[in-house]
Amino acid sequence: MSSRHPPAALLWATLGAVAIGGAGLLLRSRRPRAPTRSATVRAARRLNRAAGLLATSVLADSAVEHYRGSFHNRAMVAPLISGALSLAVSLHGQADRKAAAHRVRDAAYAIAILTGLTGTAFHLYNVAKKPGGFRWENLFYGAPLGAPAALLLSGGTGFLAERVRATPRWHAPRIGALPAGRTVAAATALGLLGTVGEAGLLHFRGAFNDPFMFAPVTLPPLSALCMANAAFGPKRRQRWLTRAMLRLTAWLGLAGVAFHLRGINRQMGGWHNVRQNLLNGPPIPAPPSFSGLALAGLAALGLMEDHPDG
Amino acid sequence: MAERYSGYDVLGKRHTPSWNPKTREVIDARLAVYREPRFFTASEWRTLWALCERIVPQPKHRAPVPLPSYVDEKLQCRQLDGYRYASLPPQDEAWRRGLAALEAEAHSAHGAAFTALTSVQQDELLRRMQHGQLMGPAWQGMPCQLFFEHRVLPDITHAYYAHPTAWDEIGFGGPASPRGYVRMGLERRDPWEAPRAQAPGTQAPGSEAPRGEASRATTAPPQGSSQ
Amino acid sequence: MRQYADNELVDFAVVGTGAGGAPLIARLAESGFSVVGLDAGPYYRPLEDFASDEREQSKLYWLDERLVDGDNPIVMGGKNSGQAVGGSTVHFAMVSLRFRPEWFRSRSLLGYGADWPVDWREMWHYYGIAEQALGIAGPVHYPWGPWRPRYPYRAHELNGAAELLGRGAEALGMKWTPTPLATVSAPRAHAHGRSPPCVYRGFCRFGCSTNAKQSQLVTFIPRALAAGAEIRDLAMVGRIELGHDGRVAGVHYHREGRWRFQRARHVVVAGYAIETPRLLLASATDRHPHGLANSSDLVGRYLMTQSNQAVFGTMPQEVRWYKGPPSLAITEHWNYDDHKAFFGGYCWMAQGPLPVEWATIQTSARGLWGQPLRDAMEKYNYQVGLKMVGEMLPDERNRVTLADERDQYGLRVARVTYSWGENDKALIQHALNQMQMSLEAVGAADIFRQEDDTNHLAGTARMGNDPATSVINPDGRSWDIPNLWVCDGSVFPTTGGVNPSLTITSLALRMADRIGALASRNEL
Repeated sequence: MSSRHPPAALLWATLGAVAIGGAGLLLRSRRPRAPTRSATVRAARRLNRAAGLLATSVLADSAVEHYRGSFHNRAMVAPLISGALSLAVSLHGQADRKAAAHRVRDAAYAIAILTGLTGTAFHLYNVAKKPGGFRWENLFYGAPLGAPAALLLSGGTGFLAERVRATPRWHAPRIGALPAGRTVAAATALGLLGTVGEAGLLHFRGAFNDPFMFAPVTLPPLSALCMANAAFGPKRRQRWLTRAMLRLTAWLGLAGVAFHLRGINRQMGGWHNVRQNLLNGPPIPAPPSFSGLALAGLAALGLMEDHPDG
Repeated sequence: MAERYSGYDVLGKRHTPSWNPKTREVIDARLAVYREPRFFTASEWRTLWALCERIVPQPKHRAPVPLPSYVDEKLQCRQLDGYRYASLPPQDEAWRRGLAALEAEAHSAHGAAFTALTSVQQDELLRRMQHGQLMGPAWQGMPCQLFFEHRVLPDITHAYYAHPTAWDEIGFGGPASPRGYVRMGLERRDPWEAPRAQAPGTQAPGSEAPRGEASRATTAPPQGSSQ
Repeated sequence: MRQYADNELVDFAVVGTGAGGAPLIARLAESGFSVVGLDAGPYYRPLEDFASDEREQSKLYWLDERLVDGDNPIVMGGKNSGQAVGGSTVHFAMVSLRFRPEWFRSRSLLGYGADWPVDWREMWHYYGIAEQALGIAGPVHYPWGPWRPRYPYRAHELNGAAELLGRGAEALGMKWTPTPLATVSAPRAHAHGRSPPCVYRGFCRFGCSTNAKQSQLVTFIPRALAAGAEIRDLAMVGRIELGHDGRVAGVHYHREGRWRFQRARHVVVAGYAIETPRLLLASATDRHPHGLANSSDLVGRYLMTQSNQAVFGTMPQEVRWYKGPPSLAITEHWNYDDHKAFFGGYCWMAQGPLPVEWATIQTSARGLWGQPLRDAMEKYNYQVGLKMVGEMLPDERNRVTLADERDQYGLRVARVTYSWGENDKALIQHALNQMQMSLEAVGAADIFRQEDDTNHLAGTARMGNDPATSVINPDGRSWDIPNLWVCDGSVFPTTGGVNPSLTITSLALRMADRIGALASRNEL
């Protein structure tokens, strides 16, 4: 009907790429585990995978949301490019068994971190200039403040993956001066809390109309608590509760997709009215952010078990 | 000819989720309005056509929306408004009397039928009606200003702006159910809305009816479907 | 649906199923009373029966003939009267606001109008219940008045027109907020059906074809049916029968081509400010020659409407105000400011008239026709507007009487006489000036005023503490006949400066509780 509107094909192409990339992440994990030379490489690959899952979520979510925003600012394609890059290098990292950081991966993750920060600033500006400023309704309907942070998390997780991977042989992995396991655990705890905030805000907007909408504001905060304990608490050999919570959180992210798909059906016209409901219904690609963070948390646990830091 | 929302066609959305079955049924019926007068006499019908052409002049490059048919339908089917100024007679009586009075005023002012006047003369008579300056006996006490404001203007303009042709002209989204709208803010629009128009205030070429030109108004109802 | 025979003596026959009738029917049925609700209009199924079309959907309005006169005749129909099960709430703009507490004692506290015989704290309680029942979507913090509980749903996203209201209000230093609306912003599961969230189709005032709108038709009416009430549609009540004992015995109504009679222990009239007095007046008998419940001669008097003037302008940007509910943002600033040179208050809201209504505004407010009309209409997508809802003062000369003319049932039609007072005119001019300043502040050009428009109705059977100065007692019962009640906006002693429907519904909920309390004391 109009040439000035961004083509829906762009949206569908992105979502297709996401589906393929996301499937790649999951399929690879099913392969029988090959013996690795180093536990740290295994942990790094897990972190790459977590970064990839986060990137998948960001890529799909920003494609949908920025299509909704008609890409009225050209910068709105940035998270698509950066998210796609992050996803690609994460797939690469997941396959890579070398015990050395990769320059391209590092660059892509750095871009993701920068894009995430810039996006957050853009979104803050968008909300601030709305009439009413930072009132609740503008937080609901303005550019979501937490969304670009998911890209930051993907880049950050990837950055940690590269640092872990670059650990010299016979050394315990460290991020700078800090033990890697605890650092990743702390980052995961923070990421989980931020993502909980985002989900909580949007589920509040939806008036928690379904009791399951309380799940992402109940379970992940407990996981975050466990992760914080792992990061800052005393050394412990077994963390079966933490591990269980993280696994639940990972599944919750996937279950969220199913719930959101069902949510589309509860919109007027359901899938028949998909051009509206995909954009105004619950965001289908958002929940796997939880899964990505949970994977990062599991990698952190692995690191801590393999390299108890005393 | 170029229109303000060139290329936009509300009816093109008929088979999209923007139109529910009831809407299709209703708009189909509107487009199939009965063309011949059932309420008005032949001479009233001619006057009404000329009147409608002055109230809502329509571009020459397309078949006109048959406004008199909608007025006729309203009266024939007794579609009321829910209220009536106490100084006006019921709508059917008001229309008969008003059209007859318009003819009488045309004869007393110009010695010719309303339909035979130039558009300038017709507009002048209508302006006098609007300002309550027509007092001939044919009005039988009905205030011409109220007739103009509460019968002529609403009955004709409502018919026009309830027609998909008018929606295309003004860029209205038209029917919207079950699909409504996603992009609500200033300068935002959904792909299923009309594209952006030219800046407001610019004249869309071709929509200008001859005005101030001493052309003869059409006296015979144009034939043929507008859709 | 449970059905009652005409000769079956039901506890309550309720005439009218709108903002007042429906909640009362539901609550009475839920309390165990046998109830029949009669409505002159049809029982629509929105998903099947409603089109996205202004003209077609005028079927929701009360379109039967009514005569209007006075200095400022009121435009009836879509602005204020419905004829459907659910009443005008089927086509109302969903604006659900609470009265300012002081308005319930406007005579004592503010020096005008009349006091209500109801305490504002009691109303605050029922407002809360009504807001929950109607699933109101409102702002997290409402900026005016005493504390209120959180609205059950969050406010809707603003459209361009509402955003411009916000910018204008901020330029004038006034608070503003997303409007609390009776349409859900998230899926709602009712006990007897579902409402999907609003799709922002913009036809709210022409019936909601998705059931997102929480009208009486999708809230209290299904509750009433579930509780065993009967809703009898297409039943035009023409006369209330008075028994030999001086109590009413039931209602005569026209359905399926003939007159029938429903026996009832109590009759509640809930026909709104025109049909309620019309029915009471038309039911005159030898014992009540001036109409039922009319010993005070106040039935039909103190009719109030609300000023609904507007200011419109043209923006350089596209606004496309046809999207979303028409009144997504509001400022109630002037309802809570007492430093004005006139009585009463007003609010204003964003606007989104669809093409037919917009053409009406062009022809009536500006007198446009011909090419100038077409040219003006072509700016449709750039228009912005603000429309007030203003308090008009009660005046006993503004009234509903019976004309000699008769309608299709052979009933005398209502004559509605209305003239604005000096206070009304001062309030309107003040509002127009303020709204114009707000539009100028956001850069609108070609600004014009719609000086002559009114909307909601109230009065004509006012409630009070004194039988000499009111028709209805604080319980909703008529002073003259103990089993004749009124439950709608006609009981309002004053009309306030906000849309009245939430107050009507809250009063009905209160009245249901009052009836329950009276019944438990055997005082019914």
